[in-house]
Amino acid sequence: MVELRNVSVTYSNGVDALNDVSIKIKDGEFVFVVGKSGAGKSTFIRLLLKEIDPTKGRIQVNGFNLSKMKKTRAYKLRRTIGCVFQDFKLIENMDVYDNVAFVLRCIDAPKKYIRNRVPYVIDLVGLKDKAHCKPSELSGGEKQRAAIARALVNDPQLIIADEPTGNLDPALTHDIVELLQAINGCGTTVIMVTHEHEIVQEFGGRTVTIQDGRVVFDDII
Amino acid sequence: MKLSSMNYLFKQGIRNIWTNRIMSVASFCILMVSLLLIGFTTLFIANINSIVGGIENKNEVIIFLNDDIDEESIEQMGVKLENSENISSVTFYSKEEAFEEMKAGMSNAEDLFQYIGEDSPLPDSYRVKVKDIEKMSATLMEINKMDGIYTVKAPNDFVNILKELKSFISIISVTILAALIIVSLVIISNAERASVEMRKREIEIMKYVGATNSFVKIPFFVEGMFIGVLAGAVAAAITIFGYSELGKVLMQDTTLWAAFGVSGLININSVMWKIIVGYIAAGALISAVGTVMSTRKYVKV
Repeated sequence: MVELRNVSVTYSNGVDALNDVSIKIKDGEFVFVVGKSGAGKSTFIRLLLKEIDPTKGRIQVNGFNLSKMKKTRAYKLRRTIGCVFQDFKLIENMDVYDNVAFVLRCIDAPKKYIRNRVPYVIDLVGLKDKAHCKPSELSGGEKQRAAIARALVNDPQLIIADEPTGNLDPALTHDIVELLQAINGCGTTVIMVTHEHEIVQEFGGRTVTIQDGRVVFDDII
Repeated sequence: MKLSSMNYLFKQGIRNIWTNRIMSVASFCILMVSLLLIGFTTLFIANINSIVGGIENKNEVIIFLNDDIDEESIEQMGVKLENSENISSVTFYSKEEAFEEMKAGMSNAEDLFQYIGEDSPLPDSYRVKVKDIEKMSATLMEINKMDGIYTVKAPNDFVNILKELKSFISIISVTILAALIIVSLVIISNAERASVEMRKREIEIMKYVGATNSFVKIPFFVEGMFIGVLAGAVAAAITIFGYSELGKVLMQDTTLWAAFGVSGLININSVMWKIIVGYIAAGALISAVGTVMSTRKYVKV
């Protein structure tokens, strides 16, 4: 579960990125977070990953009280979250297999589990034949699938997708959102941040609109 | 952390050296040149100190004894001098020996010696060498308190010049070494920062997927240490070889060294292990700690 209560963020340069935001996302939900550039969407994600702390308010993610959590313990929270980014954030010198396996190595998973789990997840996102390709050898859609496989591999409670279709053409965009919805169908909470209203119109569901740091809309479309 | 994870991180560290080979070679070269500069400067200073030490050992205090002193008193004085803390050697010169030495040194003054005759006009004397010229004054005071002394001749000017030379050399050596170490550390840390900067994205990704700080830092530590050990070993080999070759060239004329009171450059064999261990330890420490320190900024994601 994700819960923000009266959260405000003011950066050191005086910019109010979020202003008294309260959102509650239950386990298993699929939520679109939409807004223009500079609306506060990235700040919202950075808060959920404990990259930054709020100036005011309380945040609860996957049972962790982020207000009381030390930055050095953020890795515990992040191990319960899978992240998908617009620029994929794949490690260039590792192939798809190693990029995905890397997450499990970080959490000291047994070798045998890694050997079984990684090919399974790569197969799930449809990249079985590309498992030993470097990111530079993949198309944009394949890179995003690899990133989704990485986000999925440690069976997270929550997937945060930050503009996952930002670099993709419409056909691939459709595939990626469908893939995320399929993952959500298995019980994983998905928060998809986007500025593309067309996607929201096409797929529908709970939509939170952020404008000038405030939640101006939170309902099902 | 599990052993298998440590094994993985160690392998990652080694693999990173090859993956980032251009920066690895740059770090290796910078570290090696810095170690060579510091090492050769240290050896140069050590040799200067050895030469100054040789010159220092050439100091000689001559204690002229009274004419009426008996043999028992001369012996007692010899024992006292030998027991003195700051005296390294004591040699008795009888008036006859001193006269013979004088004659040998003035072979063209036969007329003068015929006029003087066979009896030595010189007094008996002790010639002593002091260990530490810094304590020369105290030693002279101790000698002057003894009975039966006519006069004491000490190389005061020589001692004063040597004292000033020693303090000048130690100030210059410390300044040069400190400057070299600071400059080297700045250059090395910049090279390592540049190397880490290129991989900040990799570190950022590691942090996003839940890697602990130590998980991120260990491969960098391994990589830095490996490059440091390698740079230290190569620098040690170059220093030992270069210094030995330099020694061969400079040792062709031994008279110059004898004038300084030393047999030559400090023998490489006597400091070889110190050089190898010192270079490798310094290289590994500077490189590993420097690399890990450079990652600090980026693990704060």
